[in-house]
Amino acid sequence: MTESDFETADRLSRRRAWLLPVLAILFLSGQAIYALGPHWASRSLDQLKVAGWLLWAATLLFLLATGGAPFRSRRIRALLDDEATRQHRARAYAFGFWIAVGTAMGIYLLTAFDEVKPRESIHIIVTAAIAGALLTFGILEHRAHRDG
Amino acid sequence: MAERLANRLRDLRSELDLTQAALAEKVGVSRKTINTVENGVFIPSTLLALRLARALGCPVEAIFSLED
Repeated sequence: MTESDFETADRLSRRRAWLLPVLAILFLSGQAIYALGPHWASRSLDQLKVAGWLLWAATLLFLLATGGAPFRSRRIRALLDDEATRQHRARAYAFGFWIAVGTAMGIYLLTAFDEVKPRESIHIIVTAAIAGALLTFGILEHRAHRDG
Repeated sequence: MAERLANRLRDLRSELDLTQAALAEKVGVSRKTINTVENGVFIPSTLLALRLARALGCPVEAIFSLED
């Protein structure tokens, strides 16, 4: 029996609800590579790490912004991006914004006691904002499915 | 004054023997959206409210009302 577009969208939406928070946690825990990595690392290894982080961050942002099913039909993508989803995404963006501002203020305060490099600051702020937004979106979507 | 939007969506849907998925299909949204509206978690736009009313064959006021 073939699955209808509505059933496919529902299945994908449920999968997205748990997958995005998992990706957010992996993204956060993956930052240990940067924080705990050897300081003697070569310049090319450092550049590779930066490129990897940028690619990872951009992919997660893309998933959050588009709904995560770019190769599905227009109808399924529309169902995956309906009103409730758009509201959840808006709330996730807002939460990500507050996390970014809070983290930036924390780093600013930290510079009174210790030196924080601009690149490190940007890395921490962007990581926190993206992870926070993804977690929020995932939790809201999960709740929306669960309370049926 | 704090006003809340009450809705009878679940009752009206049940009266017509429609599942959340069936109503979602008639309206053109996901089942999750119907679920969140029924639970009062999500307040739909005017457009969606009108589409719900049309799918259920009743006026919008029969579905949504202000609760003081």
